[in-house]
Amino acid sequence: MTRLEVYQRGLLDLVKRRGAPPEDEYLRRVADSDALATVREIAIWWRVFALEAQCRFTSRLLKRLGRFDEMVAWYFNHHLTSPFVEELSDDFLGSLSPHNDALIRATSQFERAFLKVRAGSAQTFEVLWDRHPDLVFVALENGSDLPPAETECVYRLRIDRNLPGMVACLRERIP
Amino acid sequence: MAGADTTFHPCPRPALAVTYEGDDRALLERIVPLVDTIEISPDAIATSDGRRASLRPEVLDEYAAVSPQIKFIAHGVGLSIGSFDHWDEGYLRLLDELFARFELGWHSEHLACTVVAGENTGTMFPMPRTEEALDLICERVRRIQERYPVPFLLEHVIHLLPDAPAEFTPAGFLNAITSRTGCGLVLDAYNLECDVFNQGLDIGAFLGELDLGAVRELHLAGGVKHNGLHLDIHSNTTRDTTLSLALEIVRRAPGLRAVTFEFLKEAVLLLGHDAICAELARIRQAIQ
Repeated sequence: MTRLEVYQRGLLDLVKRRGAPPEDEYLRRVADSDALATVREIAIWWRVFALEAQCRFTSRLLKRLGRFDEMVAWYFNHHLTSPFVEELSDDFLGSLSPHNDALIRATSQFERAFLKVRAGSAQTFEVLWDRHPDLVFVALENGSDLPPAETECVYRLRIDRNLPGMVACLRERIP
Repeated sequence: MAGADTTFHPCPRPALAVTYEGDDRALLERIVPLVDTIEISPDAIATSDGRRASLRPEVLDEYAAVSPQIKFIAHGVGLSIGSFDHWDEGYLRLLDELFARFELGWHSEHLACTVVAGENTGTMFPMPRTEEALDLICERVRRIQERYPVPFLLEHVIHLLPDAPAEFTPAGFLNAITSRTGCGLVLDAYNLECDVFNQGLDIGAFLGELDLGAVRELHLAGGVKHNGLHLDIHSNTTRDTTLSLALEIVRRAPGLRAVTFEFLKEAVLLLGHDAICAELARIRQAIQ
């Protein structure tokens, strides 16, 4: 490995908080520097700006839950991040799709599907919600309280470019 | 080879340039009468469908609409000319697309690394000032010069992290690149101020040692102070100290062709159109 490769790989590992503490003297100096935290912060800021602009509902929900910055930082540290906002958003939302919080899961799945369809995808997507999605969107738009989960029914939201407004929702009783 | 023309051409004043990243026709209409040149960042106007990136046609149309009144130059972010393994070919495809559509006076890129082993760093790593890095950069500059018919410039980036062990001074490293390749330089007055503040750069010694004949473009911007560090986030108008430093460079750089005010698209809401226009008028008056 050349010195340049050692430095660049080492700096990337430090910025992404991964790998063992560096053995290289210069990289140890970087690891011990106060500026490293600022460089990490800046790298995450750019992702925050992009995701706020592109993933409007999911970023608002995560902020409402007090988890946005933490989730973006986690995503940045553990994923290859694209410089293109469309790819970054798609991958970020995809990383949230299996989330164990049902509301984060549904919102991110919906937003990912909606962005794909709006960009021209001919695929049909379906997202299950444990509460009325419209009420969630309204709450995220105007800052009102999020609706509680409903125990007797689910909402099946279809996203398809051939639907009026690209979405349709069916309320189904849980047997 | 398209190197920088570093001979002195008596010129009444450098052109005034500004960044513009599209989607704000009202701003475009206001800035066009105030400037000579628009600096296009291919990365900032690109979109990707997951397979291939391309320039957004609607933004290209905005530029085309003002092309009778304005000249264009390009300034990239994502080439990653300093990556140990390879640069980003995707950026060059964007640049090809831009060259196919517009006549560009020159194009430039940051002297930095933004991709490591295919992974985006999320920030810019400055190059260590070593012979190894110099060889790699010069080889790539030559390839770029062969590929495009206009001058290619490199811009120094700010240093937030401690400097890697170096075999050259900051100015000596830039001089070695320009003398070996004939490429030109973009000096960024705000980046230099950041390095003075954050790293103790001796600006007098730097400018004294630098071959200022290679400087074709000068960047001006304003940023923020955060955690005790000055950051080169183009979110503000230019401070008086930055403008003073810029004017010193204008006086001393005989090949300077353009002074560019840079601001991020995200900063437009914060700054407002009036402040951006006032800033352009202020810079224009200062550099005359």
